[in-house]
Amino acid sequence: MTSECQDHKACLEMFEKLSEYLDHELDNLTCADIEKHAGECISCKVCLETLKRTIEVCKHMEFRTVPASFTARLKDAIGNIPQPDGVQGPGRK
Amino acid sequence: MPIPPSRKKKQDKDADLIRAINSGRHELFHELVTKYQQNLYNFGFRMCGNVQDTEDIVQDTFLNVFRYLKDFRYETKFKNWMYRIATSTCIKKRRRSKYAPDKELSLDDFIPKDPSNIPRDMPNWATLPLDKVLNDELASHIKEAILALPDKYRVVIVLRDVEGFSTEEAAQILNLTPSNIKVRLHRARLYVREQLKDYFDDDK
Repeated sequence: MTSECQDHKACLEMFEKLSEYLDHELDNLTCADIEKHAGECISCKVCLETLKRTIEVCKHMEFRTVPASFTARLKDAIGNIPQPDGVQGPGRK
Repeated sequence: MPIPPSRKKKQDKDADLIRAINSGRHELFHELVTKYQQNLYNFGFRMCGNVQDTEDIVQDTFLNVFRYLKDFRYETKFKNWMYRIATSTCIKKRRRSKYAPDKELSLDDFIPKDPSNIPRDMPNWATLPLDKVLNDELASHIKEAILALPDKYRVVIVLRDVEGFSTEEAAQILNLTPSNIKVRLHRARLYVREQLKDYFDDDK
């Protein structure tokens, strides 16, 4: 990945596995290889840390409250579910 | 970051409620709606990005959940089964409207080819405390970045990184293999990371 890094193959191998590494989905040996490589290659370290931060930002996406008007409409729609074959719908609460 | 010890399979907290509804106490369906409407609303909004479509998705999902609840087999968690219905409702909705084309993302697209693009310094946005990085403008930027992803990648990143489902759960919801989920997730994250990088670079 970097011209300064002597082991370009290791960079590419690490690049493919960054998400699995951050998700704790790799075995100890592969993790140790990644940590060793990241300690020696600044561009791979940057890739790792920026990807980690991307995931953190995604996890903190805005959480919207359901508008009360929609809750009321939803309740109505569910209360009005057609009742085929004599099966009763949820009715109104 | 090695694999942590495996967790015990948890009991489905909704199973008793579903059994009660399926045994004829249909009025209890409102409890499911109360419990999950917030989750589904946010899921729908993250998938489609506008209020009208979100409301349609939530309503159609609950109507379909009620319609097919009798077929629920208790082999999977109810929540995962419900998200499967929600996901298919979202995809159908988006196909009926506009949005991002369903193109493939390749890993090669994210490997810097130009030596001048190879990072040599750690950017501030990756090291500052998270609360110093998050703000409304960034929230809007990340929302747009996720919406710009093709459906097959967007749904994976939303389920895994935003909704917090595991790889196995996401695979179950989307009827894909865990390897497929991992591949799509990695590419989706790399895409969003590129958008974040551009956002912070422009900010300099």
